[in-house]
Amino acid sequence: MIEIGHLAAFLALAASLAQGVLGLTGARALAGRAAIVAFVVMVLSFATLLVAFAQSDFSLALAANNSHTLKPMIYKLAGVWGNHEGSMALWCLVTLGFGAAGALWMRTGRDVFEARALGVQGWLATGALSYLLFASSPYLRLDPAPLQGAGLNPVLQDVALASHPPMLYLGYVGFSFVFALAAAGLIDGRIDRVWAKEARRWALAAFIPLTIGIALGSYWAYYELGWGGWWFWDPVENASLMPWLIGAALLHSVVVTEKRGSFAAWTALLAVLAFLFSIMGAFLVRSGVLTSVHAFAVDPKRGMLLLGGLVVYGGLALGLFAVRAPKLDGGKPWQMLSREGALATNNVVLIVAALTVLLGTLFPLIAEATGRTISVGEPYFRLTFVPMLAALLALLPVVQAWTWGKADLSNVWKWAAGGVGLVAVFLLLGVSLWDIPLGAAFGLALAIWLIFGALWEVRRRAVTLARVFRLPLRVWGMTLAHIGLGVFIMGAVVETTQRYEATLALPAGGSGTVAGWDITLKDVHAIEGPNWYADKAVLTARKGGIKAEMAPTKRYYPASRMPTTETAIHKTGTGDLYIALGDRRDVDGETRWVFRVYFNPLIDLVYLGVMLIALGALFSLVPRRRTA
Amino acid sequence: MAFRTLFLSLVAFGFALTSIGQVLDDPVEEARAQALMRELRCVACENEPISQSSAAIAEDMRARVRVMVGEGASDAEVRDWFESRYGEFVLFRPKRTGLEGVVLWGTPFGLLVIGGLIAFGVARRRKAGADPVVPDDI
Repeated sequence: MIEIGHLAAFLALAASLAQGVLGLTGARALAGRAAIVAFVVMVLSFATLLVAFAQSDFSLALAANNSHTLKPMIYKLAGVWGNHEGSMALWCLVTLGFGAAGALWMRTGRDVFEARALGVQGWLATGALSYLLFASSPYLRLDPAPLQGAGLNPVLQDVALASHPPMLYLGYVGFSFVFALAAAGLIDGRIDRVWAKEARRWALAAFIPLTIGIALGSYWAYYELGWGGWWFWDPVENASLMPWLIGAALLHSVVVTEKRGSFAAWTALLAVLAFLFSIMGAFLVRSGVLTSVHAFAVDPKRGMLLLGGLVVYGGLALGLFAVRAPKLDGGKPWQMLSREGALATNNVVLIVAALTVLLGTLFPLIAEATGRTISVGEPYFRLTFVPMLAALLALLPVVQAWTWGKADLSNVWKWAAGGVGLVAVFLLLGVSLWDIPLGAAFGLALAIWLIFGALWEVRRRAVTLARVFRLPLRVWGMTLAHIGLGVFIMGAVVETTQRYEATLALPAGGSGTVAGWDITLKDVHAIEGPNWYADKAVLTARKGGIKAEMAPTKRYYPASRMPTTETAIHKTGTGDLYIALGDRRDVDGETRWVFRVYFNPLIDLVYLGVMLIALGALFSLVPRRRTA
Repeated sequence: MAFRTLFLSLVAFGFALTSIGQVLDDPVEEARAQALMRELRCVACENEPISQSSAAIAEDMRARVRVMVGEGASDAEVRDWFESRYGEFVLFRPKRTGLEGVVLWGTPFGLLVIGGLIAFGVARRRKAGADPVVPDDI
């Protein structure tokens, strides 16, 4: 069975090669057919891996190393991509999926251009499949087959995390097709409005799952790691944030190219960079050059191969860019104070933000080379990344009404006065009433400013209430995404500055108070699951008239000898009461259990905001209706 | 200072053994202690601040932060104490001194300036004949 899958992967490689060659020679129909064939055989190949994991066929080395008979079915299947080789098979599958989707749904009316895009995508797929088959094959047999598998990293046995890699890969790899479009456009020498219209759709198709994938990973870290927080500036998180930032910059820049024909070279460069940053993310995670809590399957040789791929594809694309960019059409004229100028500012800040994340992530390595051991953590990003994005977003409500080419500045002073007034109100409230840090007061003012600004823009465009629902979906998409940013900031500011955390060491029957909640430990008992056993604590939390039963557990997975925390979360209207079970301590002959208790105010707004951004991007993807 | 440090560390050690999970009575001091805990790296873990770690050493380190803050030590004094004991590695807020510190903290700002200059330069070259055009959708 697996041999069929192995063979199918080779067939997919052959089809991708054909796609690459045919595409670059300009044969649109044939390259498209090759792309579809490659995808179909790869689906078959991936299915054989899924079947082997579902049947716990431990003669497959990958299943033996990463699965277990006692594992629930969903995690058996998710186990396929919960490791290096399988995740690379998924990467290939998604690459070919985007190739096939491109073959079916590209609509530019330019056959040669589309053929070349498919050709470049074919070469990207060829590289990915070669890496899969020759450097990290998931299809290898084990003889003799072991009776039992070694299990899957237990922290990864979780619904949100099982769906996190496919989403993230849809995003990462989705940018491969944007890369292919950019390369084909550069070969053509035409990065124009037709090109931008097509590239924008595919950039959105990558950006949406990337956004959801990052949110899923963050939500998983929130409730599974038991640390109370939702973003840790961990290298793996940073690796996914960088392509997201570049993607966000691209989505803004490509609009300028679509509407005005300007920023052509810059948009093409961003389209190339979005995918290069995605590969770099894979390299950083997989090569083991960075220490990370979530890094798995670390192998320097594979890291070098990924780096090689990055250098080859990056070098070719950037070389092509250097040759073609000066010859691209410059589009319509614009001055700094205009819609173009505002979007250029957006791009400068988003790119510098992405580079800051890169610098902060890599700097410990750079400093080590000079003999200094430095840790770069949350405070660094809070003092660099956060203020630059905050400054950018503060401008948004003012500039969003600006016209292309040259802005009408007559209303700017009103907006500036409004913004200053809002900040003053929040600073005053923050200091005198709420007792929050100044940064938090600024953040809340910014959140309200963004939400209000987005709604004001809808009002301005619609003029009358009756016309609000006749606004183009793209306008709604933009509005939702910008409101989402405001909602996210509100949640993020309140959660990070007002989070309350405490440690309680309770004997059975003991109680303590955290953030106004009286917490009583009833007892701790042992329970057993299919492939784990656990200590389960039963607590009662009371505040005012509210009473909640909470049961944080700590699981042990004997197959991999690892503990995991299962936090207990009680949702209230204003935030989460969050309890994680820690160690057992014997103090003065009495057994006590250590609990980490958090109150995370408005945490749901963080995820609601991110989902609104994804929803906004989805609205923007819907093609425009013909309006009468 | 040395005597005070020794005294504090002894107190902290005893404190850690007897009263896990105590918080400071003054909420302002407790908030300051928690903020510091998010900036100090657990020396036995991978890339975690002591506020998040369940390792025993992190618990001792947390207790020490609370004692020092309770004794009125400033944020800088707490950071210095941990740095002198565990090295610069323990600080998640890297110092701004030395070549590395200046490069790390200065680069984002420098890039913003360069990016802004490029944008202004391009706009200057392209501004001839710019006319306002109302966007049709976005």
